Amino acid sequence: MAKHGGWAGKVLRVDLSTGKISTEDTLEKYRDYLGGTGIGYKVIWDEVQAGVKSFDPANKIVYGVGPLAGTGAPCNGRTAITTLWPTCWPKALVASGHMGGQFAAELKYAGYDAIIIEGRADRPVWLSVWDEKVEIKDARQLWGQGIRRTTIEINQQMGPEASVAAIGQAGENLAPMSVVMNSYSHSAGGVGGVMGSKNLKAIGVRGTGSVRIAGNKEEWEKLIKLHLSLLGANNQHVVPSNPQPWAEHYNAGSRWMASAGRRWGAANPSIDTGACEPHNLNRIAYRTNNAAYFLGDKAWQHTVRGNGCTACPIRCHTMLKVPAVSAKYGIPELGQNTCVGLLFGRAFFKSFPDGPKGQTAIEACMVGMYLADDLGVWDNYGQLQRDFQALYYNGIFKRKVAEKEFNSYSWNKYEQGDPTFLFELLPRIANKEGELATALGLGTGHLLERWGIPEQEWLENHDLLYWKLGHPKHHSNEDAGQCGVIINTQYNRDAQCHSHSNFTRNGLPIEVQKRLAAELWGSPDAVDAVAAFTPMNAHKAKMAKWSLLRKELHDCLSLCNWMGPWVASPLKEREYRGDDSIESLLYSLATGDKKSRQELDTIAERIFLLHRALTIRDMGAKDMRTKHDTIPDWVFTDPKDKAAFSKGTIRMDKEDIKLAMDMFYEEMAWDKETGSPTKATYRRLGLGTVADELAKRGLLP
Amino acid sequence: MTGEKQKHEILESALDFINSSHSSSRREFFLMTGGLIIAFSASGAKAAKEGPVIIMDQAEGLVIADPTKCVGCRRCELACTEFNDGKASPTIARIKISRNLNFGVNGIPTGQRGGGAWGNGLVIQDICNQCPHPVPCANACPNDAIVVRPPTNARVVDSKRCSGCKMCRRACPWEMMSFDSGTNKATKCFLCDGSPKCVEACPSGALTYAAWRDLTGKIPPRVAPTAIVAPEKAQTCNECHKK
Repeated sequence: MAKHGGWAGKVLRVDLSTGKISTEDTLEKYRDYLGGTGIGYKVIWDEVQAGVKSFDPANKIVYGVGPLAGTGAPCNGRTAITTLWPTCWPKALVASGHMGGQFAAELKYAGYDAIIIEGRADRPVWLSVWDEKVEIKDARQLWGQGIRRTTIEINQQMGPEASVAAIGQAGENLAPMSVVMNSYSHSAGGVGGVMGSKNLKAIGVRGTGSVRIAGNKEEWEKLIKLHLSLLGANNQHVVPSNPQPWAEHYNAGSRWMASAGRRWGAANPSIDTGACEPHNLNRIAYRTNNAAYFLGDKAWQHTVRGNGCTACPIRCHTMLKVPAVSAKYGIPELGQNTCVGLLFGRAFFKSFPDGPKGQTAIEACMVGMYLADDLGVWDNYGQLQRDFQALYYNGIFKRKVAEKEFNSYSWNKYEQGDPTFLFELLPRIANKEGELATALGLGTGHLLERWGIPEQEWLENHDLLYWKLGHPKHHSNEDAGQCGVIINTQYNRDAQCHSHSNFTRNGLPIEVQKRLAAELWGSPDAVDAVAAFTPMNAHKAKMAKWSLLRKELHDCLSLCNWMGPWVASPLKEREYRGDDSIESLLYSLATGDKKSRQELDTIAERIFLLHRALTIRDMGAKDMRTKHDTIPDWVFTDPKDKAAFSKGTIRMDKEDIKLAMDMFYEEMAWDKETGSPTKATYRRLGLGTVADELAKRGLLP
Repeated sequence: MTGEKQKHEILESALDFINSSHSSSRREFFLMTGGLIIAFSASGAKAAKEGPVIIMDQAEGLVIADPTKCVGCRRCELACTEFNDGKASPTIARIKISRNLNFGVNGIPTGQRGGGAWGNGLVIQDICNQCPHPVPCANACPNDAIVVRPPTNARVVDSKRCSGCKMCRRACPWEMMSFDSGTNKATKCFLCDGSPKCVEACPSGALTYAAWRDLTGKIPPRVAPTAIVAPEKAQTCNECHKK
């Protein structure tokens, strides 16, 4: 049993070039970085030189989890996978992908906080991690197989409990737009090709050990119950989507979908989701139905149940049963996923014969999930499908692709919204067949470059939601005004931060949000009603900093930033307050290393700063403000030309956003002119040697 | 009355007695049976000198599970082990989800045609039946370490007596005995003395703590037991059941 609670205590390192397998002491080497992305950034900083490309053997992949993974802390199922990002354009920079499922917990039970993969195997292999027994195994039989067959064959060897993270054909063929996937439907985008470049087909993990809770078990039980009581539905929406007998508020935009009469219709017998009064902790799992949220009321009749990660009572993956697809498309009648994974197939089409929420749309989702989650194709948070529509309807495909190839696609089916079109498209992306599919598999940035399309066209297009570096926005001005914009400037892929949007979209009336915001960020003016934005102020910058640090903290502790933080709650008696300290309470009790909220936020800031330093080092530029933290033109436009700050628009104002960035850099104690952290800031956060290294390269402001 | 008929009737009345909430002392009943080799493991009652423990008081409660409501989150396994043992450890959880989670009770060979997340979605929660006599795990224990504990009369492992031989694991047809390699002891469902943590933890209300009823004939066994009953216990069986 590990000395400390929480952590497993060991990091596994596997060199695929030499076959060497070794372990390191987690706390000796990575204590200042907690786990997850913290270990990831640290390894890339220390061990991967600037200029290395994603698919070079010198690139490394770090599958990191944190001290809370595998415990009963709610929402701890996520594995952070850090590497040089292949869809980051024009050059690969550090980024992370995040998968849920059972992998994170199983890795901890096997005795590891992270797996570092380095080098390149000379033939296809898979990694078997069975407690302390770790082996590199021949994967030649698995190569060329989809994710599902690969998983089942590895489970045949390791038993049904093993969690298998595998790539499909897309990853094998080094398509940058590819995923690694575990537990049927839980993927991390962008990583598939990096695994493929290392000839690594899969990692199977089986753990029979345990994660020790250092603190008193009665206190732990109390804390878990407190945390559970603060949970809302998916994305921490804390009010129901329609009026409930117990609810003071409701909001049609909420993912809290449960209600009397809304049934899991494909359960046998069917189950009424009912009122789901928030104090009843035995009904949390019924609150969320993301299929119904995204696909409309028709999805209820197809709902078998909610599914999701280890220890998470919010079942954000919805399992659907659509018997018609079996005969119609020859695919299994069950499918499951969430959000963009669920919508993968539907999103390619502009319209369907029976509307966007009709039966055909659901069938397109089923076909999309069946194909994409087996071939291992990634959609870059929906950018793939938005690009596809634009490229087709603007005639770009026709211009860029040879006639014979263009005509080999059934475009009439595509235009009619026939899901069978996906059988023509998705396997070709995974197998890089032809120019069209190969270009799509590169990701937006590299596709535009290959076809000589100026990025500017994408930056100006309001419908494409493209942000920068080959990636789209992820909860930006449409959810949180300037705060969202700031957050979307910071990462090297889509931002994946939900700290801010989980608050602004929680469904509470703006007056309540403002009251809570005043307590959290010093003023009610930190938040605005969505699409009724007001000019920038320092409190919005505080909220942006807080949001980024909590995202990073969650990625290191293994808490789900798609659910947290938990600063608002569904509880009227708490005046809808959550608890801003829940992360530090969980961390302290689980590990036995008592840390206050502020102390933990400081560690998160160190980790976020290391990400910044890596970006600066690998870009070879210190002028981040103009070279990295860029904002697409569409943010400053409005389709109806409404003025910024008028009601009903998410349009931002250029001068105001300049001020926003000034205030954010100031809040971070970074140099305002360049947006680069100062030497003093690196030192304050314990990254003196990082500052020295950057100084040597002339990369300090 | 022939000898064998007499034995049979005594056994029947013994079981009736146990199944009722009879208030008269077990000792009184023991005397009534005229020195037959039967003893009871009840609250604090020691096994009678005449022979080893065989018959146990019936359990008062058990956990009942509804697979159609199970969402596969494993919070029950974690509540079981964190709140009772101070560690998250599905391997020693006394309710078992993980093994059925992906492919269902029939496991990998069924692939996508079975249960679990890869099959029809149904997750069967494996629970301890708190078996009536004969209690397979208790009978197989060479140390008589599986005893009845009030107030629920759950069959529980007395860790002081458990030697960690794992014979109990080979006895349970439902594979509900766990072995904690940290303590080197067997462990099993003890109903949390009447308020099971798993039931409280289930976010979809799929578990219920209910009055005991006999599910042993209703839930298909997972394995054929391979434990050996010690000769002196087998002798007790023979004494009672001899025709």
